[in-house]
Amino acid sequence: MIDVVDVTKRYGSVVAVEGVSFHVNAGDIVGFLGPNGAGKSTLLKMMCTWLPLTSGRITVAGHDVSSHPLEARRVLGYLTEHNAMYETMRVDQYLRFVGRLRGVSGPWLEERMAWVGEKCSIKDVFKKRVNQCSKGYRQRVGVAAALIHDPQVILLDEPTHGLDPLQVVAFREFIRELAEGRAILFSSHNLSEVASISDRLLVISHGRLLVDTSLQEMQDRAASHGHDLESEVLGLVRSSSPSAGEGSEPGS
Amino acid sequence: MTQDTSRSATERVVRVGALSGAWIVARRELSASFDSWIAYVYTIAFVLLANSIFMNEFFLVGTVDMTGYFDLMPLLLPVFLPAITMRLWAEERKQRTIEMLLTMPIRPMQAVVGKYLAALALLVLMIAGSIPIVIMLATLGHPDMGLVLGGYLGVLAFGAQFLAIGMFLSSLVSDQIVAFVTTSVTVFLFVLLGDERVVVVLDGLAPDLSAGTWMYEHVSVMPHYEAFVRGVIGLPAVIYFVGSAALFLWLTAVALERDRA
Repeated sequence: MIDVVDVTKRYGSVVAVEGVSFHVNAGDIVGFLGPNGAGKSTLLKMMCTWLPLTSGRITVAGHDVSSHPLEARRVLGYLTEHNAMYETMRVDQYLRFVGRLRGVSGPWLEERMAWVGEKCSIKDVFKKRVNQCSKGYRQRVGVAAALIHDPQVILLDEPTHGLDPLQVVAFREFIRELAEGRAILFSSHNLSEVASISDRLLVISHGRLLVDTSLQEMQDRAASHGHDLESEVLGLVRSSSPSAGEGSEPGS
Repeated sequence: MTQDTSRSATERVVRVGALSGAWIVARRELSASFDSWIAYVYTIAFVLLANSIFMNEFFLVGTVDMTGYFDLMPLLLPVFLPAITMRLWAEERKQRTIEMLLTMPIRPMQAVVGKYLAALALLVLMIAGSIPIVIMLATLGHPDMGLVLGGYLGVLAFGAQFLAIGMFLSSLVSDQIVAFVTTSVTVFLFVLLGDERVVVVLDGLAPDLSAGTWMYEHVSVMPHYEAFVRGVIGLPAVIYFVGSAALFLWLTAVALERDRA
C-alpha cells in the first residue's frame, strides 16, 4: 500500500534522506524509529506530498505522490510533526473543515464526526476552541483530523507526543483496531512505544535506513547478541554514525 | 463502534471541485478574521475615518456627490488593506498550518482563491459602511447615480488589485508586520506613480525614456481608477485591474509551490 523506492532528498549539498526503500502492506503497523534529524519527518513529509523528492519514487495506494499528488492525498491521513491546527477554531468546526476539504460531506461527515469523537475521546472538547484544549486533547484532535475521511494509509508523526501513559495504552489499542485493511506508519523517538504498538520496525539514522524487520526478528537478533532490544537498536544507530558514539540517540 | 464497512472510504470520498474547495477555505478564513476581533477593529476604524473626513468636506463644499469619498480611497486603502492581507499566508507559515492546508486534496490555487474571496468580502464590508452617505445624498438632492456606481466599481477594482498584491507579499514572509509594511509601501508606490509631481521628477531624470509618463500610463493604478470615478469604464482599465489581480494570485500560488522544496 506504501511503496518507497530508492528515495533521496537533498537540500543543496545536505543529504537528508539517501536511497531509502521499503514497502508497507495493508494491515501493517510500522514504527519508524530514529534520533533527531535522522530523516523520519522528511520521509513522512515526502510521502504526504508536502516535500518534493530529489530522486526515487513513492506510491501511496497505487498513486505516485510526485505525478498524482491530489489522488495520493485523498487516500492518506497525515498527522504533522508539530500538529499545527487553526487555534481559534472550535474543535468540531476544525474537524468539519478538514472533512469537507477531504471530500467528506452530508450524513457521512456527521457519521465520521461521531466516530472520531468516540474513538479519539474528544467529544468533551468538540465545543472548545483548539487553543483551549490540553496538550493530550490537542494531539487526539490532530489524530481525529487525520482519520476523518477514513483513509487507507495513515501517516502519524510522533502521534503519542503529549499523551499520558493511560492515553498511550488506549492509543495503542485504537491503532491496532484501526490497522485492519489499512497501512499505518508512525514515527517516534521512543523505542518501547514503537515496540508496544508496531509489528515491524524501520530504523533510520543519518538519512539511511538501517533496519527493516519485524519486531520479533529484532528481538531475536538482540537476544542472540546478548542484548536487550534497546541496546541492540542503540548499537546499530551508533555504528552508523560518522562520528560513532556522538550525537543524540533514540530514547528508551 | 466499528469502522464503516458498507462502502469503502475511497468510494465515498468525493472529489472536491475547484470552486467548492475555494469556498470551504473562504468560509474558514472569513470566520477566522472575525474570531480575532481584528476585522471588527479595522472595519469600524476605516468606516469612521472615511465617513468623517468625507462629511467634513461635504459641509464645506456643499455639493451632492461622492467624489470626495472616492478621492480619499487612494490614501486610505494602502493603510487599511494590508491589515486584511498581512495574516493570510504569513500566519499560516508562522503557525505551521500551511503544511496541513497544502497537503489537503486541493490545488494551491484553490486555497489562494479561497483566501482572496474572504479578503474581498471584507473589502466589500468596509465599503458598505459608506452606504449611509449615498442614502443621505439621495435624500438631500439628486446625485448622479452613474458616477456613484462607477466610483464604487473603481474602489472594488482598486481594492481587489491591492488585495492580490498584499496576498502575494504575505506568501513570501512569516512575519505579519513585515507583510503589512511591504504591502503598504508597494501599494503606495502604485498610487504615487500616478501623482503629477512624481511623473515630472521621473521624466526629468531621464527625458529620453519618459519613464515617469510610461509608469503613469502602464503601472500606476491612478489613471484607471480616476476613469472609473469619472464614470468611464473602459476596456484597458478592466484589463489592467483583472490582469494584475490574476497575475498576483498566480504568483502567490507559484510562491507556495516553490516554498515546499
